[in-house]
Amino acid sequence: MPRPSSRLAAAVPAVSPLAALRYALLLLALAVMLFPLYWMINTSLKPTPEVFLDPPTFFSENWSFEAYGALFEARPIGRYFLNSLVVASGTTVLCLALASFAAYGITRFKMRIEPLVIIALLFIKMLPEALLVVPYFELISDVGMLDSYAALITVYSTFSLPLATWMLIGFFRMIPKELDEAALMDGATRLQTFLGVILPLARSGIAAVAMFTFLTAWNSFIWALVLTTEPEMYLLPVGIATLMGEYQVEWNELMAAAVIAVVPVLVVFGILERHLIAGITAGAVKG
Amino acid sequence: MSGGRGMREERAIWRASGLRRERWHGYYFLAPTLLFLALLIAVPLVQAFWTSLQRTRGLRSSFVGLDNYLHLFGSERFWHSLSVSALFTVACVALHLAVGLLLALALHQVTFARTALRLGFLTPWIIAPSIGAVVWVWLLEPQFGVVNHILTSLGIIQEARVWLGEPLLALGSIIAVDFWRGMPFVMLLLLAGLQGIPAEQYEAAAIDGANAWQKFRHVTLPNLRYLLIVATTLDTIYTIRHFDIIAVMTAGGPASATEVLPVLIYNTAFEANRFGRASAVGIVLLGIVLTLSVLYLRIVKPERDKAEA
Repeated sequence: MPRPSSRLAAAVPAVSPLAALRYALLLLALAVMLFPLYWMINTSLKPTPEVFLDPPTFFSENWSFEAYGALFEARPIGRYFLNSLVVASGTTVLCLALASFAAYGITRFKMRIEPLVIIALLFIKMLPEALLVVPYFELISDVGMLDSYAALITVYSTFSLPLATWMLIGFFRMIPKELDEAALMDGATRLQTFLGVILPLARSGIAAVAMFTFLTAWNSFIWALVLTTEPEMYLLPVGIATLMGEYQVEWNELMAAAVIAVVPVLVVFGILERHLIAGITAGAVKG
Repeated sequence: MSGGRGMREERAIWRASGLRRERWHGYYFLAPTLLFLALLIAVPLVQAFWTSLQRTRGLRSSFVGLDNYLHLFGSERFWHSLSVSALFTVACVALHLAVGLLLALALHQVTFARTALRLGFLTPWIIAPSIGAVVWVWLLEPQFGVVNHILTSLGIIQEARVWLGEPLLALGSIIAVDFWRGMPFVMLLLLAGLQGIPAEQYEAAAIDGANAWQKFRHVTLPNLRYLLIVATTLDTIYTIRHFDIIAVMTAGGPASATEVLPVLIYNTAFEANRFGRASAVGIVLLGIVLTLSVLYLRIVKPERDKAEA
C-alpha cells in the first residue's frame, strides 16, 4: 500500500465518537467566543436602515462599505487612528530602548540589586492603574502636558516596561556570554558589544517584544481617557467610546470604527502568534 | 547548572578580560530604566499617598490627615463598591478557571488544527477590552440587540431585557463580558501546563489500569496544581483592577450596581472632583493588590527554586 493512504487508514480509527463529540463542542465554544466579532463585522457592512431590522439579518444581502465611508466623512476617525499609531509606535521605541539596556545590564553583570530590580518590575506589573490616575493627571496637568503625545508615550511606556524587560531578559539569557567576551577581547567597548553583537543576535526576540508592546499600547484605554481632553487628541479606544455616548448612535458606523481598531491587532497577532504565546506564558509563569 | 570546572573557567575569563573590574558598569545599563521608573512610579505613588491625606476643592487643598480614610470607612458607597469588586472578581475568576480548564483539556487532546483553534480562542483576549465592550453594548442593546433576539428565539427569556439597565442584570452582563475577555488567558496558561506533563506518567497510569477520571485526578491535577494556583492569583490581581469594560459599558451604574473599586476611583476623582478621597480608595486597592502579590511571590518563589535546583 502506498504511504499516504496507509497514514490515512491509521488516522481514521483514531476518530472515536468521543473525540468527535469533543471536537464539536470545541467548535461550538469557539463559535460563541467569536460571535461578537462576527456581529461587529456583520453590522459594519449593513446599510443604515437594515441595522434596525427586527429580526436582525445574520448576513446582509446588500452589504456595502457605506458605513465606513460615512464614518471617515463625518468623524475624525483618521485622526484617532493616527494618534493611536504615533503613541503606540513612540511607546514601542522608548520602552524597547530602556528595556533592552536594562535587560543587558541584568543578564551580563552580577549585580547585588538584581533581585530587587526583578521584584520592582513584578510589583509595577501588578500595580492597579486606577491608583495612579489622580497623581498622573495632577502631575501632567501641572507641567501643562495634557493632550500631548509625549505625556501619553511616557506613561504608556512605564506600564509596558516591566513585561518588556522580563521578556528581553529571557531572550538575552539564551545568547551565550562567550560572545560578549570574544568581542571585548577584540577591543570592543561594552556599548559596542551590546549594540553591535548582542542586539542583532536578539533581533527576533526584540521584534516579538516590540510587537507585544505595540499591541498593549494600541489597546490601552485608561490613560488615553484621563490624559486627553481635546477631541482631536483622542486615541482610537477613547474616540470610539465617545461616539457611543452620543444621543443617537449609528451602530453600523460605530462597528466600522471598531473593525478599524481591531484589524491591525489581529494582523500583528496572527503573524507573531507563536513568539508572543511563548513570551506571554513565560512572562506570566515566571513573573 | 554548570559543574565546578565550568565555573572555574568562567571565573578565569572573568579575571583575564577585566570583566570583574567593570562589574559596576552594569549600573550604566540599568540606570536609565531605574531613573525612569523612579520618576514615573515612585513619585506618583508618593503623590497618591500625599493626596489621600488632603482635602481638595478645585485648586485649593488642605492637609486633613486620615480624614479621607475615616470618611471612606464610614461611607456606604465604599463598602458597596468593595463588595461589588469582590463579587465581580470571584465570579469572573471562577468562570475563567472552570471553563478555561475544560477548554484547555479539550484542546490538549485535539491534534487537528490545534494552532488555529488556539488562535481563535485567544482573539477576544488580544483585542482592546474597551473596543470589545463597545461591541457588547451593541449586542446587548435592548431594542435591536442580537442577544435579546437569540435568547427569545431559543425560549430562554420571554421578553426583551434591558441588560445594562437593571442592577443585577448589569452586574451579570459585565461578568459575562469579562469572562469572554479573560478566559482565553487562563486557558492559554493551563494549556501550556498540560503540554509540560510528561507522557510517561499517563502511560504508567494506563498500565496500572487507570480510567480517564483517575488519570485526570492522579496525573493531571497534581501536575497542574502549581499552575492552577499561579493562574488563580494572577487572574485575581488582573480582574480586581480591571477598569475598561465596566467604564465603557456601565460607568458603574445603574445605581452603582457595577461600581467596582477602580471605577469608584475614577468617578470620585473626575465626576465628583474629590481627588483626596479618590486617592484614599486607590491606596486601599493598592493594599489589596499588594497582599495578593506577596501571596503570589510566596507561591512562585519556592516552586521556582525547586525547579532550578
